[in-house]
Amino acid sequence: MFRPEARMTSAIAESSKPLRSNIGRILFSAFAWTCPMCAAWGGVQIYDAASLADLSLEQLSNLEITSVSRRPESLSGATASVFVITNDDIRRSGANTLPEALRLAPNLQVARLGSASYAISSRGFNNALGNKLLVLIDGRTVYTPLNSGVFWDQQEVMLEDVERIEVISGAGGTTWGTNAVNGVINVITRSASKTQGALLAAGAGDPEIANAFRYGGKLGTDGSYRVYAKQYSHNDDSEIKAQGYDWQRGQGGFRFDWDGDANDFTLQGDYYEGKSEEREQPIAPGFSLFGDTRVSGMNMLGRWDRRFDNGQNLRVQAYYDRAEREDELAFQDVMEVFDIELQHGVPFGRHSLLWGAGYRQAEDDTEPGLLVSFVPEERKLHWLNAFVQGKFNLAENVELTAGTRFERNDYTGWEILPSVRVGWKPSPSQLLWGAVSRAVRAPSRIDREFFFGFPGVTIIAGGPDFRSEIAIVSEIGYRAQPTENFSFSVTAFHHDYEYLRSGADPDVVGVPVFVQNNIQGSVRGLEAWATWQVARSWRLSVGLNLLSEDLEQDPFPPDPDGLRNLGNNPPQQYLLRSSWDISSAWEFDAMLRRVGELPDPAIEAYTAVDVRLAWKPRRDLELSLAAQNLFDPGHIEYVDTGLFAVPTEIERRVFLKLLWRM
Amino acid sequence: MTRGGNARTHERLPVAGAAILALCLSVFSCSAWAQADGQPEEHRLKAAFVYKFAGFVDWQSNLSELPTLNIGVLGAPEILNELAQIVPGRTVGDRAITARGVDPADLRDLHILFIGKSEAARLPQLAAALQERGILVVTEWDGALMQGGTINFVIADRRVKFEISLPAAEKSRLKLSSRLLAVAHRVVGAP
Repeated sequence: MFRPEARMTSAIAESSKPLRSNIGRILFSAFAWTCPMCAAWGGVQIYDAASLADLSLEQLSNLEITSVSRRPESLSGATASVFVITNDDIRRSGANTLPEALRLAPNLQVARLGSASYAISSRGFNNALGNKLLVLIDGRTVYTPLNSGVFWDQQEVMLEDVERIEVISGAGGTTWGTNAVNGVINVITRSASKTQGALLAAGAGDPEIANAFRYGGKLGTDGSYRVYAKQYSHNDDSEIKAQGYDWQRGQGGFRFDWDGDANDFTLQGDYYEGKSEEREQPIAPGFSLFGDTRVSGMNMLGRWDRRFDNGQNLRVQAYYDRAEREDELAFQDVMEVFDIELQHGVPFGRHSLLWGAGYRQAEDDTEPGLLVSFVPEERKLHWLNAFVQGKFNLAENVELTAGTRFERNDYTGWEILPSVRVGWKPSPSQLLWGAVSRAVRAPSRIDREFFFGFPGVTIIAGGPDFRSEIAIVSEIGYRAQPTENFSFSVTAFHHDYEYLRSGADPDVVGVPVFVQNNIQGSVRGLEAWATWQVARSWRLSVGLNLLSEDLEQDPFPPDPDGLRNLGNNPPQQYLLRSSWDISSAWEFDAMLRRVGELPDPAIEAYTAVDVRLAWKPRRDLELSLAAQNLFDPGHIEYVDTGLFAVPTEIERRVFLKLLWRM
Repeated sequence: MTRGGNARTHERLPVAGAAILALCLSVFSCSAWAQADGQPEEHRLKAAFVYKFAGFVDWQSNLSELPTLNIGVLGAPEILNELAQIVPGRTVGDRAITARGVDPADLRDLHILFIGKSEAARLPQLAAALQERGILVVTEWDGALMQGGTINFVIADRRVKFEISLPAAEKSRLKLSSRLLAVAHRVVGAP
């Protein structure tokens, strides 16, 4: 699960919305009134050219700059569709949770199902299962071997300490392994050496309360550490919501980094607990029949990076991850994952080679819920992998990356995940790239060992012959920065799928219905984003996502729900974002998201407008007021196709936050 | 999708929200302006760096005989503007510093040439001539060192950093101080 070197920082695009509406006008007039008075105030310390020239080289290189927006590094050689969410983007979005921050990526579909559950995907197949997207937090793969999906209510980070989130749409299997079929989300937190001192983020609003605290210090000359704790609760008075909607969560953790000359070492860990409200049932309101949903977990990761004088580098990483889930209605599970990986980079001349190997083990213990069970209840799974990838400079401005990965799982044996990528830079500010990859979604327990039904009757059973889902992914992209102030990225893709997961009609085949692989077809689409630095203090970004699915169920056995169970995706999605530094102390951000109608089951298109106003009276202090969904009292983003699915209306959110760096 | 009771609450919210926002602004914005301690802007920092570099480089070509130290800027008016404010009255050793905008046909007597990203495409053709003349070439885009640049600005961790190509420095007969190398984010071609 390591990423080969070529770290990507792509042409960034977010979205914007210029001021409009009454609020905009009121703000504007208030600002216009107070501004002239300010001129009377003196003493503002501004770094002008002459005073900077008097600083030393060392001092100069330690100064933080204001405008990260003018990213000279924005155009890189990454031959993939990569969108990078920066720390600053997250802060300015007003997001309190990781999934909300992911809404910034135009190449993702993010739909909220409840207070903490999300359907997040890239290039289609979006549902609560989300089994074609790989998510990593600091190198730790967080999908559950239970269903190849991510339980978003169990994944959180201290957002203030995130360095960046790389969202890569398209196949990443050669580098990251099975599951990286349609995309990879790579959450990267800052090294402890860059999170020194204390930080307090405290906020409250309707319906959220979120508080976080971090402290970072030094250990010796090369070592540094941080510890953090965060708390989050969500209490909604919405009338249209699923049972067990309200949610609270606590998390704490640490990170230790030792940065030497030739060796870097990282040790980090987290612990969390979360709990939903009690679920009532319709017959006797006030009486909880199904109880609550509880989650908890901990993880610990160690990583060692060694750089050699001859340019070679070596990385060894190991982690342990334990995740518990208690849900009497569905099921209970304790999952323990152990993973160790090694990666070695070898430069030769203008080319380079990266190879690696890894072993992963998952041991889980399930207890049947009222409706769902896994047989066997306890299971130990093993994965082995090895990969090799070469990067060849064919000409001055042409680079070829070719590689393959071999990965073995207990269900289907060895899988092969090759890919070829070519990048051509006709000028330093343009990149044309293309890629073809084979991606595999290997079976998980839910495909093979899952049973759904009522006591005595099994309705759905895991398929003993369920095989891997296969995708051939073709992509072509163009990124350019024609002027200093404008950059864009366009990617067109075509994915061909075989052996997609399906079921059958119980009226035709009788019960139980076995999970099988009877859907195939293709998905095509376009992802584009652009950033325009209109003025030094004002940036506009747009994002666009078009998707067209052409999937087909085998005629026999018929499965009326087969296609809709694979996901429900908007055919188009737009994002518009404006980041305006009104002055050195004031920021105003606005984001407009337009998500097209979901076809089946039909869910209305919606437009959400989020705004945020921040005031920084001092360099270490920030007070912000954010409103999400400003002009819309509520909308439904997604409805699960499950038997007991209840649509939840996502309401307007208002949040006041204090950020204090001590 | 909203039922009656809820809808009323929703209608009130934006109005209240606007009032609060407006209030915040009118009360606080003055003090905010007064207390702000500004962070430097990227182009200002780069200009300061370019000026600073002059003090950490020895020109071993015949450029060392010129009476003034001359900085040229190609395609980055903002940086030229900042340099114009920095250089008056400043010296490197006992030499006064000049800064001027240049075009590729006029590279005469330059010690340092800063090439802005908008002119990035020119470097590959110019590189050989610049090295021949012994000019320290400072750039600001990915991959510039591969194209013959000597020092290249990069942004890392919200800071302006620079990387150095030793082979390019050698070709231009430049001797870089060890302090410059120590501060560099990355040194390419180090033995």
